[in-house]
Amino acid sequence: MTAAAINRLGLAVFALFTLAAPWLLPLVVDGFWVDIYSEMLIWSLLAASVNLLFGYVGLLSFGQALFFGMGMYGVAIGVAKLGLGFWPAFGLGVVLATAMAAVAGALAVRLTWHYFAIITVVFSLIFYFTALSWKPLTGGDDGLSFSMPPMLALGDDWELSLTDSTVQYYFIILVVGACYALMGVILKSPLGWAFRTVRENATRASLIGLNVYLIRLTAFIAAGFIAGVAGALFAFFGRYASASYMFYHVSGEAVVWAIIGGAGTLLGPVVGTSLLIVLREELSHAWEHYLILVGVIVILVVIFAPRGLGGVWHALVRRVARAADEDAGGGDGEGRS
Amino acid sequence: MSGPILEIADVEKHFGGLAALGGVNATVESGRLTAIIGPNGAGKTTLFNVVTGILAPSAGTIRFLGRDITRSSVHEISRLGLARTLQIKSVFHGLTVRENLWIAAQSREGVFKPFANAKTCRRANEQADALLEELALTRLASQQAANLSYGDVALLEIGIALATEPKLLLLDEPICGMGPAETERTVEKIRELSKRIDIVIIEHDIEVVFDISDDIIVMALGRVLARGTPAEISENAEVRSAYLGDDDA
Amino acid sequence: MELVIALGMNGIVWGLIIALIALGLSIIFGLLDIINIAHGDFFMVGTVMAWFVFETTGNYWLAFAIVPVLGFALGALIEYTVIQPIKNAAALSIVATFGLSIILQEGVRATYGAAPTRLTAPIEGTLPLFGLEYEIYRLFAALVSIAAIGCFFLFLHRTKLGTWMRAVRFDPETATAMGIPARRVYLVTFAIGFAMAALGGVVAGPITTVDFQAGVDVLPFCFMAVIIGGLGNMGGTVAAAVMLAFFEGVMASFTDPTMARIGSLCLMSLVLMVRPHGIFSGATR
Repeated sequence: MTAAAINRLGLAVFALFTLAAPWLLPLVVDGFWVDIYSEMLIWSLLAASVNLLFGYVGLLSFGQALFFGMGMYGVAIGVAKLGLGFWPAFGLGVVLATAMAAVAGALAVRLTWHYFAIITVVFSLIFYFTALSWKPLTGGDDGLSFSMPPMLALGDDWELSLTDSTVQYYFIILVVGACYALMGVILKSPLGWAFRTVRENATRASLIGLNVYLIRLTAFIAAGFIAGVAGALFAFFGRYASASYMFYHVSGEAVVWAIIGGAGTLLGPVVGTSLLIVLREELSHAWEHYLILVGVIVILVVIFAPRGLGGVWHALVRRVARAADEDAGGGDGEGRS
Repeated sequence: MSGPILEIADVEKHFGGLAALGGVNATVESGRLTAIIGPNGAGKTTLFNVVTGILAPSAGTIRFLGRDITRSSVHEISRLGLARTLQIKSVFHGLTVRENLWIAAQSREGVFKPFANAKTCRRANEQADALLEELALTRLASQQAANLSYGDVALLEIGIALATEPKLLLLDEPICGMGPAETERTVEKIRELSKRIDIVIIEHDIEVVFDISDDIIVMALGRVLARGTPAEISENAEVRSAYLGDDDA
Repeated sequence: MELVIALGMNGIVWGLIIALIALGLSIIFGLLDIINIAHGDFFMVGTVMAWFVFETTGNYWLAFAIVPVLGFALGALIEYTVIQPIKNAAALSIVATFGLSIILQEGVRATYGAAPTRLTAPIEGTLPLFGLEYEIYRLFAALVSIAAIGCFFLFLHRTKLGTWMRAVRFDPETATAMGIPARRVYLVTFAIGFAMAALGGVVAGPITTVDFQAGVDVLPFCFMAVIIGGLGNMGGTVAAAVMLAFFEGVMASFTDPTMARIGSLCLMSLVLMVRPHGIFSGATR
């Protein structure tokens, strides 16, 4: 079996598990884990947006919560203040986030590395404080809650709505899955390879005729879109939006999830996010100050698995593949690509 | 084909109060291999940086294929057909050898194709494979560039430049730091390439320079000291005293 | 007008304290290439330790002597256990120090508690200044900060260790080749960085509140001072911190504090766009 085959198998198992989770999870654990699982997938998208920028283009953004918040407020304001239906509100959230990413990105990607990281924090803080003080529109610290509009209504007595937990679960995995599929496609395209060249060596990339600024901006907008979708989903999930989700700490957590999961691997963010959310859920019952343990685990992972859990997985798969198939030669699968 | 492919007129570059280039005038003739020599600090690499758009000149104009490229950006200049290697070898370390060549080739086809699969980009695939073959790098195709030997990295960098199908290739000390065997292999490659592509080479190894070049530009202190054929340069008394003196090992 | 002066003065005092903290961040950043997300928490731990010293001894002045030493020891311990294993990986340093930040915050919440408290200043009373009655302790805080910053610069330029630090920063390989014990220099640098943040905590304790989340607000401020002042430009860091805080203080007298914060953030992004290498750098690099 080659490494690529093992990866495909792993992906298939993961996909099947996700599809069957509403039935499978309650068999082994408490039913609320289905909710936690969907929340995990939503947050993983935020980590994925960090990963798209950092893992593939080499830009460390500490401000992805800004676009998450835009997606979130787009939905909440759309429903609660503008009286929009489900889809227009969803669209509003995603468009707002993407537009914000285009504007912020046009300025931010002129800078790199430390400077880029700082300006993304600054931008997100500006809007965090704005959201905090613009109470009539955003609800400030208290947030803005809304009641769920139906996705689809036929006649008077049949409607499809996220108030049905099964509908909600499948809606979430469908959207999250579509986002990962989209990223998967982009990363296999010439654009995806252009991303990696910019990460590896921006000077060389421009010397072969690539417009580094435009490539970085494109990635930034794409990442903003992904974070915006995550935010919009989270607003629907919680029927609620709050400025606190725009704070830089949320961005920082997403960075941690992405790097713990393995920057530069497509599904690393899912792994990292899952690990930390499962830890939270499991440990918080056992010990009030469980966060101390989370901190210790984060540090241990960084010290002993600097390429993240995704890196550990790929190394493992490669070893298994080599052991299982000594004479296949090469077959180095996806690795860090 | 003849006539100047690159024209450099009165180009100056100042860093603060320091003039790294103090009014350089030079032309590169098409169909000839031009070498730039000169002591360290003569401004050779700075000149390459200005020509390729990495640095903006403080004054002067640069024309490539008759077009003014003085204010063009690095990627625009590359797209016009001007490729370059760097003194400190510069490749995409985290990518494989083939991926390095592939993306350089694909850059000519355009990379803003988010929904195309890289595996089906036929032209770039063919070109990457052809270059692997030509540079004898096929056996290393799936190696990460970071794991290559110094000589192979240098070769790969030339390959990346070639993949962009340049009309003019600037090589900055391509054999610096190589052993005798690698040097010979690289010099042969350059000689062979010069038959189909115009090449400007910065090189310290005088023997190699006199061996392969058709024209030599001698720079010192940010200016052009002399230019001519190898024979003319070796006769030039000013150059001999300034640069080719006995202290040059 | 009195409000403008008062808040402007508060801004300068606060800016000097921030400068002290930010210098610690700057040397860690510049020398070890560590993006220290936990630096705000180092400050917070300083305020908590000051509270603890005061609670146990009843004497706040002792905190000025004890807390920086404790901070130094803690910093050395952290460098040895967490920072050294991930040396030379700036991205990893962010994650590791984020973990550290969680540990410190939660550790303080577990021991000290979640409720913010106010410390009473060891010097009470006011002094007439620019037509208003200004708290003496704030003036004292400014003086201590200036003195500490001065000592830091003297240390950096007048002692062997300080010279070593600058040498390692400039060129670690050559420095090592010259026999400078780079690893020990890293350890001491990180420890000094913690000590400075902790001292900042002691100085600021009676002005702000002792709260396990206090570092979260301080951190972005420190980073901005470091970046806007120009990476590696220590004098620039001090100037930027004071200017930012002064600007925010004056702004706060015209509008509410949140708007003032937004204003200073906008100013910062403007500076970053126009002068990405800091306001005190030349036009070209």
